[in-house]
Amino acid sequence: MAILGVDVGGTFTDAVLVEEGRIRTAKVPTAPRQEESVLAAARAVGADATELERFAHGTTVATNALLERRGARTAYVGNAGFEQLLHLRRQTRAHLYRLSAQHPEPLVPLERCFGVRGRLGPEGELEPLELDDLPELDGAEAVAVCLLFAFRDPSHERAVATELRRRHPGVHVVASHEVASEFREYERASTTTADAYLAPVTVRYLRALVAAAAEAGLPEPVVMLSSGGVLPAGEAAEHPARLLISGPAGGVVGAGLVTRGAGFEHAIAFDMGGTSTDVCLLPGGRAERVSEREIGGLPIRLPSVDVHTVGAGGGSLVRRDAGGALRVGPESAGADPGPACYGRGGGPTVTDANLLLGRLPEALPGGLVLDRDAAAAALAEIDPAAVVDVVNAEMLRALRVVSVERGHDPREFALVAYGGAGPLHACALAEELGMEAVLVPAAAGVLSALGLAAGDERRDRVVSHVRPLAAVDELPPDGEADLRYRGQSFELPVPLGSGLEERFHRAHEERYGYADRDREVELVAVRTADVARGPEVELPSGEPKRASGPALVELDGSTLWIPPGWEGVRDGFSWVVTRE
Amino acid sequence: MSDVIAPIQLQVIGAALRSIAEEMGAVLIRSSFSANIKERRDCSTAVFDEHGRMIAQAEHIPVHLGAMPDAVAAVRRLGLEAGQVAILNDPYTGGTHLPDLTLVSRTALGFAVSRAHHADVGGIEPASLPAFSHTLEEEGVILPPQLLTDEVLERFVEATRQPEERRGDLRAQLSAHRLADRRLEELCARRGRDQVAAAMDELYAYSERMVRAAIAALPDGRAEAQDVVEAVDGDVPIRCTVEIAGDEIRIDFAGTAPQYDGNLNCPLAVTKSACYFVVRCLTEPDLPASGGAFAPVAVTAPAGCLVNAQPPAAVVAGNTETSSRIVDVVFAAFAQLVPAPAAGQGTMNNLAFGNDRFTYYETIGGGQGASPDADGPNGVHVAMSNTFATPAEAIELEYPLRVERWELRPGSGGAGTHRGGDGVVRELRVLEDCRLSVLAERRRNSPPGRAGGDDGAPGRTLLNGEEQPPKLTRQLHAGDVVRVETPGGGGHGAAK
Repeated sequence: MAILGVDVGGTFTDAVLVEEGRIRTAKVPTAPRQEESVLAAARAVGADATELERFAHGTTVATNALLERRGARTAYVGNAGFEQLLHLRRQTRAHLYRLSAQHPEPLVPLERCFGVRGRLGPEGELEPLELDDLPELDGAEAVAVCLLFAFRDPSHERAVATELRRRHPGVHVVASHEVASEFREYERASTTTADAYLAPVTVRYLRALVAAAAEAGLPEPVVMLSSGGVLPAGEAAEHPARLLISGPAGGVVGAGLVTRGAGFEHAIAFDMGGTSTDVCLLPGGRAERVSEREIGGLPIRLPSVDVHTVGAGGGSLVRRDAGGALRVGPESAGADPGPACYGRGGGPTVTDANLLLGRLPEALPGGLVLDRDAAAAALAEIDPAAVVDVVNAEMLRALRVVSVERGHDPREFALVAYGGAGPLHACALAEELGMEAVLVPAAAGVLSALGLAAGDERRDRVVSHVRPLAAVDELPPDGEADLRYRGQSFELPVPLGSGLEERFHRAHEERYGYADRDREVELVAVRTADVARGPEVELPSGEPKRASGPALVELDGSTLWIPPGWEGVRDGFSWVVTRE
Repeated sequence: MSDVIAPIQLQVIGAALRSIAEEMGAVLIRSSFSANIKERRDCSTAVFDEHGRMIAQAEHIPVHLGAMPDAVAAVRRLGLEAGQVAILNDPYTGGTHLPDLTLVSRTALGFAVSRAHHADVGGIEPASLPAFSHTLEEEGVILPPQLLTDEVLERFVEATRQPEERRGDLRAQLSAHRLADRRLEELCARRGRDQVAAAMDELYAYSERMVRAAIAALPDGRAEAQDVVEAVDGDVPIRCTVEIAGDEIRIDFAGTAPQYDGNLNCPLAVTKSACYFVVRCLTEPDLPASGGAFAPVAVTAPAGCLVNAQPPAAVVAGNTETSSRIVDVVFAAFAQLVPAPAAGQGTMNNLAFGNDRFTYYETIGGGQGASPDADGPNGVHVAMSNTFATPAEAIELEYPLRVERWELRPGSGGAGTHRGGDGVVRELRVLEDCRLSVLAERRRNSPPGRAGGDDGAPGRTLLNGEEQPPKLTRQLHAGDVVRVETPGGGGHGAAK
């Protein structure tokens, strides 16, 4: 039986088909209607002629709708007196020194923000709910409901949601306890609103995809969530705020697969694309998760793989600023006109520097011949080695954020490099961080799609407590507890199990340099997940190969640069590059 | 470019130094206990070089911007050894106001600095923000620069209202310093101490070059402006003259009222921070923070005036309120020479509640002034602060308080070609008897519009519906409701 992964990116849609230890890949241009690209990629890789055990999909539909503000006409219902929470945020300004900078526009305009009387406090009801206050919805297609203390007592929210659903059967209603039942009202409201805002668009897309798949004789797709787990398309559509980093999550799962396949224990995933780079720590070969991240300026309080993104990649433009420093990014040449060496009038980029340093082949797969003269002219007096050093400094900072700054020594990790530009830069970064090995999968250009195919089915749950740990009788055996000293505002996740309190003290000591065993420990939330393991993916073994630096190795969708003093061995699915 | 360090080494080491400052800040915020630090993020962390120059800073709020170098200068005189930590809060030797506790440690190369606003430092009122202090002693325990020993720490925390919380916050600050020590040592070991020192020199010189280039691009000229702060007994004028000359800026406060018997006085360090803030907004808002950026800016004020106060003047409101007004008056002077925004709300609306059991402090955002090309944002901190609002759920879980309302104050922003931002309305009910202190400004005078734009609406403070003066300290009873309506920002350009 075969498994298929299809990952939609901004420029290309990648497909990977794994069948009995063989792997096929395909790339097609991304069309405005994503479901068409998905099907086209599936056909290109030969999936329509194969019996599939799983069809997995990474989508940017929700992400794009959020970033481009193409979601539903949405209304917001909060407590009377707190109607405008989405507009007040946490009262900080958008930029410390650009005083007119505005935050990204909230997803709901003021005129569709409503209040309902009735109030819960930490100990229960303070004022009864007045359902008569509920507004006419002014043509909204979706409504987000977020009431104070619903993470502790959802009764008011439930009553409001039930009444709204009764009055407006065609409108998509989401209450905060249904999607992110967590402490802190603004972050919860923001998450709930994004979920409501994205639902109609995402449901329409996933329905179209399921129908198109059925027509093509493919099974119902599973969709990659930000958490690194997958859910059947129908279920994934219920809460689309869970899909916002679907693609990068696929890459991280793929990197874990490659790490374990090559027999390494710990790794850092390094996905350097054209305009941005994602890095993620994989202790024990699996991604760590965080319970909140910001997307497009909006906090989203939902589990996601702990990917850290920086706005620089192979296509980032290079310039010198007024103080004489070399700057790389965040502006990018994009796919069109692309880097100067594409010969379409683009500006100088990291890719041009790599070309002039002899780290790229003369032509890209697909036949585009790279124009060295154009690259040299665009970079003019800028030293290409300095360009690579500067972009590497940015990458190093990102790698340090996910490792050193979280108390991990990168020397104990392998660097898994993928994405179009990752394998070009990986050895230099490993050198700087004292890392022993760089792992580069043969399918470095389409690893996200491979990761989708392998993802576990995963349903995350959270129960908020915000009470002394000692007052809680029973906890589930598996999962994580968010703990803090009473009086702190930030929690540390500690795996559930025996000796929980002592393990929290130790974790605090490791992270912050001290523990205070006399202080009360507070349980903020318990996070559990039902996980059904994904299919076993048997990665193909290629011909054993060996290359000593300096050397260029052309891969599927990427180029591996082995600098002098490093040696690469193709063993199994991946290249393992180490210092000689 | 310096010839002793390759540009790339420079950028790599610069990124590493910035990471150290940021990581210190993250440790401090995440492991601290008082709402001021953990929720509002009223704190800053920085890395300084051997010469006491600021090289990299994790910026959370601008009021700490220019005030840290004086702290390091004061501590250098103590002759710290590597690994030792000094503490201070004395506004007249490197501090800002007493609640800001500054720690300075000697690292493998230079100094690490953390500054955090503690909820209480033992002043005459809970939260140590008394509205009516006359001398510094009344505002809390004064710590001149000294080595932070266990004994010093214990003596200090025992003199405050919540010793446990103070101890926890100081521990959080200390862990940030231990981390900085370790990181600097690793960096020097890996890159070479000389290279790191050379990079520090060049990072300082680089930001100086950037800001000089930006100042040189502004037209030369000289302009004056005046505004007032609202003291208990009447308005007190602040006057400034700004001068752009080549690649330098001079700002002088001759003509400002003398220091007085209240607490709106400012030490010169705070005045400098406010001036640096304005220059930064007008020149290089995106430049990473480094002391070199301020080398081309000279700030002077007559000794003993409101903005260069001398001991033993009380200063607690100088840091939050007078600093806001200095920003307004310096912008107003520059606006005659270059495009500049209208005045924002011009206050932080400091609100403090407390008794023997708890201390709670918050500041409230308002309208930002409109810019020549854009409306002013609504409901934000506008100048020297940028602290977060504490969630209502966090407040109600932890303190005997209830948040009853938090919404925009429509129409409070001044009209204009571009509108000033709206202020907000915030209502808090106290659930047990406690003291209240309010330090607020722009209650009697409106935030001015610019270039024909209308003024923003002044703010109001109400207790159970009754209007209160700009500054007050008084007893509250369970059930009392404090309502704050924050000022709107000024508009820019005549309304059509």
